[in-house]
Amino acid sequence: MRNFRRAVRITVFLILALWLHYVMPQRDIARVTSTEVVRTDFSALNRIFFAQADTGATDNPSRDLRFINTERKATYLFGLIRGGNQTMVYRNEDTGWIYPPYFKFDSADLQAEAGAAISTAEPYDWVVITHYGWRIRWLSIYPNAVSIRPAPSEEYRPIPWGNIIIYIALIAGALFLRAMWRQFRERTLDPLADRAEDRMDHVQADFAERRGRVRRWLDSWKSK
Amino acid sequence: MNFVRLVVFGFLFLSVVYICVSLYSRSVRREKLEAEWEETRPEGIHRDAFVKEGMKEYETGLRKRLILLVYIIPLIAVGAIIYFVN
Repeated sequence: MRNFRRAVRITVFLILALWLHYVMPQRDIARVTSTEVVRTDFSALNRIFFAQADTGATDNPSRDLRFINTERKATYLFGLIRGGNQTMVYRNEDTGWIYPPYFKFDSADLQAEAGAAISTAEPYDWVVITHYGWRIRWLSIYPNAVSIRPAPSEEYRPIPWGNIIIYIALIAGALFLRAMWRQFRERTLDPLADRAEDRMDHVQADFAERRGRVRRWLDSWKSK
Repeated sequence: MNFVRLVVFGFLFLSVVYICVSLYSRSVRREKLEAEWEETRPEGIHRDAFVKEGMKEYETGLRKRLILLVYIIPLIAVGAIIYFVN
């Protein structure tokens, strides 16, 4: 039983961690090599990894997707370790009003910015691309670029202030939730349970008493 | 349409949070009042009356109104995100 509970707990934690890794913003140092638009038909498998049509438009089964092709600095271990250069393709979609809550409506403008940042001749212009999501090739899914700004240098390493603030808020929220649950248990559930137990005791005592009386009466018939 | 959905469900969700937080806050205040009575044992004031008086004060106080921040902070956060992302 303990192992089962541990397994459930670890699974929940892993799913939560993966989900956070997917939706939290990350920043890459990259150089834009080209931009393009590709007509895309989603499958049932990869549909959930794409957002909906532009906020003002209606959603159809297939639509044009904006892409930003780049060469970026590879990162490992949540961005702590820098590697060499690596090809990366970002999609550029409105997240709209719902999920994930980036409230991004300006994908057309972002595409224009990306086009203006194309840099194919040395010295390269490096940009910071804020994005969320994963690139998984066999699913044909791409991280969604949220914003582009010029990077001071190729070696620039941005500090993720936004993530720090969000994680602090999440932890504070979780602790608050725990405090609320404890208060509820201490002040509402436990007294209820106590009262029920108390009543149970009374009933049992009553029952034992009655049985004792019957037994005594029966005993009075026994020959001494 | 999505905007309407966000507003409606966001409001419902925040209302649930608001109710939970206000129940929690009230419960904590009641516990504090009970502890205060146990400590000071004021002459001639019954425990229930003491707690009732304190709760009446709480109902009209600033602390209760501060729970409305549950609605305001997400609104500000969403506004800030929209401003900074777009």
